[in-house]
Amino acid sequence: MQRLKKGNYKLPAYLLVIMNILGFGLLCMANNFDPNIMYIGLGIMAFLLLVYCIVVVCRMGDKFLILIASMLITIGLLMLCRLNLKMGVRQIIWIGLGVIVFFTSYCIYYNIWFWDKMWFVYLGLGTVLFIMTLTLGQKVSGSTNWLSIAGIYFQPSEITKILYVMFLSCYYSKSWEYPVLKIKPKYITAMGTYLFILFLVMQRDWGTILVLFLIYIFMIYIYENGFGFLAANFMLAAVTALLGYKFLYHIRVRVSVWLDPWSDIANKGYQITQSLFAIASGGYFGRGLGNGSPSYIPEVHTDFIFAAICEEMGVFGGAAVIILFFLLSYRCFKIALGAKNPFNKAVGVGLTLMFAFQTFIIIGGVIKFIPLTGITVPFVSYGGTSIIASFISLGIMQAISAKEVRGEKRAGK
Amino acid sequence: MRENKRIIHVLIVISILFLSLLTYLLYFNMFRAEEVALNSYNRRQWDEERYVKRGSIYDCEGIVLAETVIGDDNSQTRRYPKGRLYSHIIGYYSKVYGKSMLEMKYDSMLLGKGDISLSFGELKEGYDLNLTINHKLQEYAYNQMNSRSGAAVAMNPQTGEILAMVSLPDFDPTPEAIERDWNNIVEKENSPLLSRAVQGAYPPGSTYKIVTAAAAFEEGRNNEEFNDTGKFEQGSLTVDNFNSKAYGKINLKKGFAVSSNFVFCTLGYEMGAEKMKNITERFYIGKDFDFDLPMNTGTIGYKSMNSSDSALVAIGQGKLLTSPLQMAMITSCVANGGNMMKPYLVDSVTTDNGYVVKKNRPQSLALPISENCADYVKELMVETVKTGTGRNAQISGVTVAGKTGTAENETEKSHAWFVGFAPSENPKIAVAVILEYDGGEGGVHAAPIAKNIMSKYLSLK
Repeated sequence: MQRLKKGNYKLPAYLLVIMNILGFGLLCMANNFDPNIMYIGLGIMAFLLLVYCIVVVCRMGDKFLILIASMLITIGLLMLCRLNLKMGVRQIIWIGLGVIVFFTSYCIYYNIWFWDKMWFVYLGLGTVLFIMTLTLGQKVSGSTNWLSIAGIYFQPSEITKILYVMFLSCYYSKSWEYPVLKIKPKYITAMGTYLFILFLVMQRDWGTILVLFLIYIFMIYIYENGFGFLAANFMLAAVTALLGYKFLYHIRVRVSVWLDPWSDIANKGYQITQSLFAIASGGYFGRGLGNGSPSYIPEVHTDFIFAAICEEMGVFGGAAVIILFFLLSYRCFKIALGAKNPFNKAVGVGLTLMFAFQTFIIIGGVIKFIPLTGITVPFVSYGGTSIIASFISLGIMQAISAKEVRGEKRAGK
Repeated sequence: MRENKRIIHVLIVISILFLSLLTYLLYFNMFRAEEVALNSYNRRQWDEERYVKRGSIYDCEGIVLAETVIGDDNSQTRRYPKGRLYSHIIGYYSKVYGKSMLEMKYDSMLLGKGDISLSFGELKEGYDLNLTINHKLQEYAYNQMNSRSGAAVAMNPQTGEILAMVSLPDFDPTPEAIERDWNNIVEKENSPLLSRAVQGAYPPGSTYKIVTAAAAFEEGRNNEEFNDTGKFEQGSLTVDNFNSKAYGKINLKKGFAVSSNFVFCTLGYEMGAEKMKNITERFYIGKDFDFDLPMNTGTIGYKSMNSSDSALVAIGQGKLLTSPLQMAMITSCVANGGNMMKPYLVDSVTTDNGYVVKKNRPQSLALPISENCADYVKELMVETVKTGTGRNAQISGVTVAGKTGTAENETEKSHAWFVGFAPSENPKIAVAVILEYDGGEGGVHAAPIAKNIMSKYLSLK
């Protein structure tokens, strides 16, 4: 309440206003003063501010999470409108749906208290989603990770990541201690993890594999007493990675392209070199919104959107995006640290790790800091599933934070 | 709580990861981006050029040497009205194969970069280059070379301005021709893309005796008498005079005029490796400087050099290699009283309404020898044209100074060299001519070309 009176929560909201007006204003100028762009900018700005007001007024916990996410959404939408206005409009629809999902997941998570008892539901649902993807899935650019339901395409792996975090949390919050078929839950979580990873290998979704595995490793580090189990998992991963490198052509190509993309610019190194050309051409301050040529970058609206941001908004624009994600992770860590309910704490940490690693893996890949594995940038990339999954996670984080702020007693338990 | 402690560890790890992303992004932009952005696969380089009318290139009198023409469909074409004549100075400009020579070096100027005027849609004008080249002389020199392989460089010894520079064989620089014939041009045995005047590396042969004579003057050996037996022998090294002619008792002046290998090998041998190395470096061989075109710096070629090597270097053989531009610079240095001027090709950069963006002024590059020494060598060179091997370079009414060279190489056919300047009292032009693998004497084949170029230039004034 103190903070609310002091009013310091307003300042970041002003930044959001400035970003929207300047960004969309510039884009409007670059597009021969197309008024539609200005309407989009003002509309999304009003919408995001409304969401922010609801979060503040209804005392839904941390006020900065939604602000940071709004800024990221603004930057992403700005870039998408610049790339392709129709795509930008579709993204707005997804954002609208995402916000509805945000409040829904917030309410559901806030009011249900038996989340920690349902590990088998998460495992089962995840497995079903994977099997559906593998049997009914569509192949899009080398990965079989798209599912089409009633004409709408979506990527189940985005949802499974959240299910996976919930599944792990059941065990690590110590609410699931009974063995199943004489197998300790510790080993069931390990088996579940590797089952998911196996499914993802079949889909060739290397980026998500990396995210899941890193979440698992860090969860073990946080919750397991000794380091033996951690080391065992690490060894297993190392051996698998080496075998993968030796026998899977895909992985070998990715590593060799990462080490030297310049020897085969026209073919294997095409994606990453186009991305680097874009970043290099942008310089520190970028070529200006609408002045660059991001259309040369393949997959620019999803995986490579960061390269487009760097080209037109400069390395400083790119750095701003990285810092925003860093702030988002920091706020999430804070919520997780403050959570008293062990399950909420575990879910908080898991989702935080998910955000952090997902951004690190894709941004690091696009700037050739680590080998490239295609995943989306949360809140920024184009794509319904990505936006909705990000909003679900955000809703859950918000609910955890709200439970903390308002006190557990009044929450649904 | 143990978990919270561990979560903080993880937070630290995540912070390090994000920080490393930021650091790498900045590192990439600071140290790698320039090279990456200029990669020929980066299509953006051509994007910007769609909005700019590339600047024109003019000779010293305003004759158009390169221009961009806008077609009816707003397409731009680079045109070279003088055809092949400037293929080794201006270079080519192709969307497929990139740019070379001045088109490359002055790319950002030609595109008018740094011009901060705002433009909305309309075509921006790039900057124009005004060269020091005199088109009439360039054309004349080109015709004098008569399609023979080699190079001719003419410069103003007092300023360093390049007046004409021909390299042969050449190629058709128009974008269509480059794109059509690229493989042919690249694979051709006589390498037409090699700009011989600046990138060639030739043994300078007897023209290098200019440098040796300067060294001898510095060592006080200019009045010595030699007993020329026609054959220099020292250990396993034997060097004959041209046509094995023995001149008997001669001094340095006479030895220079008849180009006696005996005299100069003896001097090189006795003055030693250090002296020859030192004077070669002073004449800027093997040293880089900022020139408008990519050039070969030349080399003395030896890591450790003994007196026999020094005897060979003294007559411009052995492992010594120089470019025709460097020989023109050495000649200019003697002509200009020991002050070596920095050669340059671009006089000024101007906007289309005449505002001067950049102006190059004459600059001294080095002072390799004293004025006395330069005057002495000049005297030897005048004598060479008057009575010695350079008689074919005489111009009536003008005192010409020069030196011939017939440089042996890996083939049977020697290179024919001539370097010289005129008028010797107040040098206006210095010339270096080489006909590669010519097989003839420099004094017979190269000297008349140099003479004609000099006399043409003096008559232009």
